Amino acid sequence: MSTQSLPSGANSSERGSPSGANSSERGSPSGANKDARLVLAVPSKGRLMEQTSEILAKAGLTIRKTGNERGYRGEVAEMPDVEVAFVSASEIARYLKTGQAHIGVTGEDLVRETMPDAETRVILLRKLGFGFADVVVAVPASWLDVRTMSDLDQMAATFRRHHGRPLRVATKYMNLTRAHFARHGVSDYRIVESLGATEGTPAAGTADLIVDITTTGSTLKANGLRILDDGVILKSQANLVAANLAEWSPAARAAEAAILRALDAAT
Amino acid sequence: MAAETARQFEALEAQAAVLMSTFIAAGYEAVAPAIIQPADIYLDAVGEDLRARTYVFTDPAGDELCLRPDLTVPVCRLYLERNGDAAGREARFCYNGPAFRFQPQGATRAHPREFRQAGIECFGAAGREQADAEVLAAIVRALEGAGLTDYQLSFGDLGLFGAMLTTVDMPERWRQRLKHHFWAPEAFRAELKRLTTAPGDIMKGMPAALAAELDPADTEASEHAVERYLDSEGIEVIGARTLSEITANLVARAADAAAPPLSPTAASLILRYLEVSCPAREAGQRIKDIVRAEGVDISDGLISWQRRLTLLAEQGIDLARADFSAEFGRALAYYTGFVFEAVTPALGRRTPVAGGGRYDALMKVVGGRSDVPAVGAAIHTERLLAAAGRPS
Repeated sequence: MSTQSLPSGANSSERGSPSGANSSERGSPSGANKDARLVLAVPSKGRLMEQTSEILAKAGLTIRKTGNERGYRGEVAEMPDVEVAFVSASEIARYLKTGQAHIGVTGEDLVRETMPDAETRVILLRKLGFGFADVVVAVPASWLDVRTMSDLDQMAATFRRHHGRPLRVATKYMNLTRAHFARHGVSDYRIVESLGATEGTPAAGTADLIVDITTTGSTLKANGLRILDDGVILKSQANLVAANLAEWSPAARAAEAAILRALDAAT
Repeated sequence: MAAETARQFEALEAQAAVLMSTFIAAGYEAVAPAIIQPADIYLDAVGEDLRARTYVFTDPAGDELCLRPDLTVPVCRLYLERNGDAAGREARFCYNGPAFRFQPQGATRAHPREFRQAGIECFGAAGREQADAEVLAAIVRALEGAGLTDYQLSFGDLGLFGAMLTTVDMPERWRQRLKHHFWAPEAFRAELKRLTTAPGDIMKGMPAALAAELDPADTEASEHAVERYLDSEGIEVIGARTLSEITANLVARAADAAAPPLSPTAASLILRYLEVSCPAREAGQRIKDIVRAEGVDISDGLISWQRRLTLLAEQGIDLARADFSAEFGRALAYYTGFVFEAVTPALGRRTPVAGGGRYDALMKVVGGRSDVPAVGAAIHTERLLAAAGRPS
């Protein structure tokens, strides 16, 4: 039988800071790149990109692409010490996790999902007031007997007996789902990864319930789903986020401070 | 990492030879199940917690596979393959081989992502206490044979917990709920409180008019009532759960809600039992005192506990090294009876060198037609090497 202790708390005593970086202080310049420019990661397309541009414009900062119109590099016209990287929103969370970018605009949902140890890796600097989305647990509305996570847990054993398999939960938020289910003592389920049209999976029969983002709940309703009473895992919005693991030169720190001053003055 | 230096590799090999020869001499057949296993079986059997720590991958043919996170499930599958319809036949296996686990906080020496387990599994033995004692004794002999002298044993017994619950007067479904929550102390306490104070809460949020129409004696009428309600609300039944499954659960919940609350004395008995933590030899008397004060009788469970201790002593286990904790086992899902760990002062209580227990319900989950009595244990060989420090 297993001699390894299970995850809950077993490892907590030896929890270290990721790859040796000091967890409370940001990485300091190791001498070489003390003039290294601040890398600001912004969403590369869609509403998130527009809203990021708008909020920076309000703060008097103009972001624009350099070189090819379809390229992924850019600059802030007013700040020569800043380099802009246009990246997809989920990729931004990974950039911040590893310190490839100093700061970036991304949803708290993606931060929490990408980094179970977010507290040591990043600092959520400012909530930006757009990109609102709730990460929720939703079940078929026809499950009149399941209103809460506890009801779900109680039903899971019966479900396994009837169907010879555990409940399937479709989601792209595997880590948030595991943490939320564990918090409520629900263990008899299985995640099936879903990268699109998650809300359609219960009707299609590929999953029994879902964990997904919603803004108004109307898409869930249209797909015959209902949010559990205690099924809101996270109320997310776009944040300006700083990476602890990035190499912070004095120039990068100064640029970050200037951006925050500009944002705060505009709101 | 397993064997990160040639020297440690040789030391682990030498230690494995000692462990395996101890097991083989005790009547266990050496087997080497596949390292790569079908992901489905694991993921269904072990629950999402271990899944999160299992290396899963897709092969070029598109099949979902995994690197085994332990050897118990692979050995269960091997037992089923060999016995087919004759499942239930007695069999004893031993093994030494690698297992793999993702370590969310980063791999360390005590919690590596690749490690070697040496262990035994005993299937189909009818005398449960005898088999429990035999497995633990074989593990202890192997540990001592590898040079470990300074160790303690921790015991728990989910069978005793079940026996205690059985004596408390409550609907059977409540008992199942409490057993189910044994693994999650917070959820357990919350459930116990709800059953004691407000069992009716279970129907909170469910349509009251519909609840009134549910009739446990008339399945058909209840289903019609649920169907009418769904129609009136414009809700379509989607997914795998049928109207009759939903109705059956609603009816059962309505019955639970109407039951009288659990008595506070029963709740306190359960909580006081869970607080028991003492030398193993005193546990029987301690528990007897607690239950006697409530006027309940769990002699069957206690007789079984006591018999196991006697058998362990006969096998030469030094019971002065053993502690009992009623809560022990809470971190280890899929066990159903006696559970144990061996810990050392060198590595600490959170890093056991060996552990195991009884898991009578696992065989069906990995594909067996019926449950097979099973008990097994494994040694974390890198930890044993560190703790025993065999002279090289």
